[in-house]
Amino acid sequence: MNRFRAMAYPYVLFISILVVIPMLLIIAYAFTVEGTAFFQHQFTLDNFARFFSDAVFLQVLVRSLRVAVFTTIVCLILGYPAAYCIAKSERRQGILILIITLPTWINMLVRTYAWVGILQDNGLLNAVLGTLGLGQLHLMYTDFAVVLGMVYNFIPFMILEISAALSKMDPSYLEAAEDLGANRRQSFLHVTLPLSLPGIISGITLVFLPAVSAFFIPKLLGGGSYVLVGNIIETEFLTAGNWSFGSALSLIMAIIIMLSIYLTRRIDRNRGEVS
Amino acid sequence: MKKLIELKNIVKDFDGQQVLKGISLDIYENEFVTLLGPSGCGKTTILRIIGGFLDADGGEVRFDGKEINHVPPYQREINTVFQKYALFPHLNVYDNIAFGLKLRKEPKDVIEQKVIRMLRLVGLDGFAKRRVSQMSGGQQQRVAIARALVNEPKVLLLDEPLGALDLKLRKEMQRELKKIQQEVGITFLFVTHDQEEALTMSDKIVVMKEGTIQQIGSPTDIYNEPINRYVANFIGESNIIDGTMRADYRVEFEDRQFECVDAGFEKDEAVEVVIRPEDLDIVPVAQGKLRGRVKSALFKGVHYETMVETRAGTSITVQMTVRDGKPAANTGSGECISANDFYLDIEDVEQLTDARIIARADAQAWNPQTDEFLSIAKLSYSIKPENGTYPVTFETHSGTSITVNMIVADANRVQNRENGEEIYAMNFFKSADEIHESMAIDHDLITWGDASAWVLNAQEEPDIRVRISDVVYTFDPDNIQPGTYDVTFSTKGYEYKVSTTDRTEPGDVVGLTFVPEDLHIMRKG
Repeated sequence: MNRFRAMAYPYVLFISILVVIPMLLIIAYAFTVEGTAFFQHQFTLDNFARFFSDAVFLQVLVRSLRVAVFTTIVCLILGYPAAYCIAKSERRQGILILIITLPTWINMLVRTYAWVGILQDNGLLNAVLGTLGLGQLHLMYTDFAVVLGMVYNFIPFMILEISAALSKMDPSYLEAAEDLGANRRQSFLHVTLPLSLPGIISGITLVFLPAVSAFFIPKLLGGGSYVLVGNIIETEFLTAGNWSFGSALSLIMAIIIMLSIYLTRRIDRNRGEVS
Repeated sequence: MKKLIELKNIVKDFDGQQVLKGISLDIYENEFVTLLGPSGCGKTTILRIIGGFLDADGGEVRFDGKEINHVPPYQREINTVFQKYALFPHLNVYDNIAFGLKLRKEPKDVIEQKVIRMLRLVGLDGFAKRRVSQMSGGQQQRVAIARALVNEPKVLLLDEPLGALDLKLRKEMQRELKKIQQEVGITFLFVTHDQEEALTMSDKIVVMKEGTIQQIGSPTDIYNEPINRYVANFIGESNIIDGTMRADYRVEFEDRQFECVDAGFEKDEAVEVVIRPEDLDIVPVAQGKLRGRVKSALFKGVHYETMVETRAGTSITVQMTVRDGKPAANTGSGECISANDFYLDIEDVEQLTDARIIARADAQAWNPQTDEFLSIAKLSYSIKPENGTYPVTFETHSGTSITVNMIVADANRVQNRENGEEIYAMNFFKSADEIHESMAIDHDLITWGDASAWVLNAQEEPDIRVRISDVVYTFDPDNIQPGTYDVTFSTKGYEYKVSTTDRTEPGDVVGLTFVPEDLHIMRKG
């Protein structure tokens, strides 16, 4: 492998400039307060103190985690059966995966705007309901709208990860389970499900991460008063111009995300290595 | 003994192709039965139908007297050891073996006792907590056997379970499997393509070919009394000779009558005689029942594998005329063209086609700069079905041409009534360059001389071809000079393979002997 090490240098350079240095800058901003002199910064923990002393921020954090967890659970419940179907269908697998990924060809912002058009009080959905004489629904600026928007945007990741894990699975394991006396439900519970766990874990990771830090989905579908951590970070950077507090918030989110990844990986490992 | 599994006229199609053509087979309690055949003969399909993983398209599967065609695998008292073991990678050895017992909700302590006992039976004490991925192929195999046996099935199906192991381990596992089968006393149905494995382990062997059963019998029966040429060839090595039953206990082959132990054939029925290489002995010519010349002797460790030819094949000699021919070049269009004179069988003149003339003359045109081949656009000739010499001209699109002679002559063939075959070849012309460039001179000589051989008076159409196995020539292909050379084509004669500890040299004339019990007579077909 040493012979090919040089081939990674461009990537190392790329990562250093575009990921590592910005990360270091965020850490630097999070622990400093701007001094009076040009380029003079002072070490401080005020940014973190502000976050933990204000109950509003903690409420926002809890709400963000709740929305993300809920989104992830819905994606898993809806996504697993879909992934299972895709993995089991031999001939149509390609076309089904195409259908799942097709929406991602269009910009995420545009697709989310489309939901506004569908869900708003005088939007498409209510127009249809009205024509059918079924009354009106107020959906915009609710938890439902936000979770719907997130599930819609992130569910392809869940489906793709799980179906990849399922189609990699050797069908002889299922035959072996059946041979040993397992009916279909038991084979699924004792063989298919545990063997697809790595796919579930990476699906959860890929849905939870963008969900917990999303900012424009809650902004568009949740309205101005529906604030998640992502929205506060956005405001601090773009509107309030308080980069230090914004950086501190980002850092807190990063730590929560890293912790959650670590925990899910632990579960994975405890369940045994699955090749 | 009680019948455990009965297959009645089982038929199975895959994509319109029949892989099982009516299989009927009874398997009894406590038997070690082996399905033996080459890959694609349907043996694994039978196993999967019995296991319940495939539905038969026709016929009946009975287990313990009850029809089970549509009983799902998890309700059958049958367990399988899969070809690649299919051990669950997310479970350790203990949980893999306990899988079936846990599904049946047996008490924990009972499960533990049974699993520990199984681990001991397959020689894996202390491996309970091991991950299956950390085990060797042989160990995984034992876990797979334990996982199946712990459920106390009435039948254990084994699908080529030793295929992935190396030779030494395979031998060890063969002994072990047989031992386990005798200890637990259940029926094993074993699938393999390895005849030696089948002979070593089985009580009963089922030899299969293309979806049909050829022979069912004990290893000794199958080895000593193969029912046909296919079985004889599949089980061990054999000499198979055409013969005729002159009367009960009298068989004739190589124009001599010999005493044998078989009876019940029609008088003068054509048969095949099997003699195993180890049943033949090399003796001085005077004491031999047959005599022949040693063609080769290979040392195999304990013995020599000696080929003795008792009768030479049929041969024909033709003349090859080598010319220092240079291709005709056309500098105007920058093309080259070459062709050889050739002989033509007078019987072939009627059906002569342009393509055949180009092939026989080996006519080629090419561009020497680019080495690209060019097509031959035009042939001009006139020919009559009479012996004589007729010129033929080959021409390309740009008019580059060469003229050679077609020499029509009587067919040149040799009949060998004794061997019942006929061989044919024609004289031919070649240039020194073509012989230099030949990569496989024997094969090219056969093509150039149009040599072929076939069985004489074959009833079947088309003719049964006989392979030309020997090409003898008197020139040095690396240093050939223009001139005329003899080339002799011959078929294989009667050869016997002998396993012997006697050392002989190729060329020795020896006698061969055998006792009547060593001749095994098979019906033809």
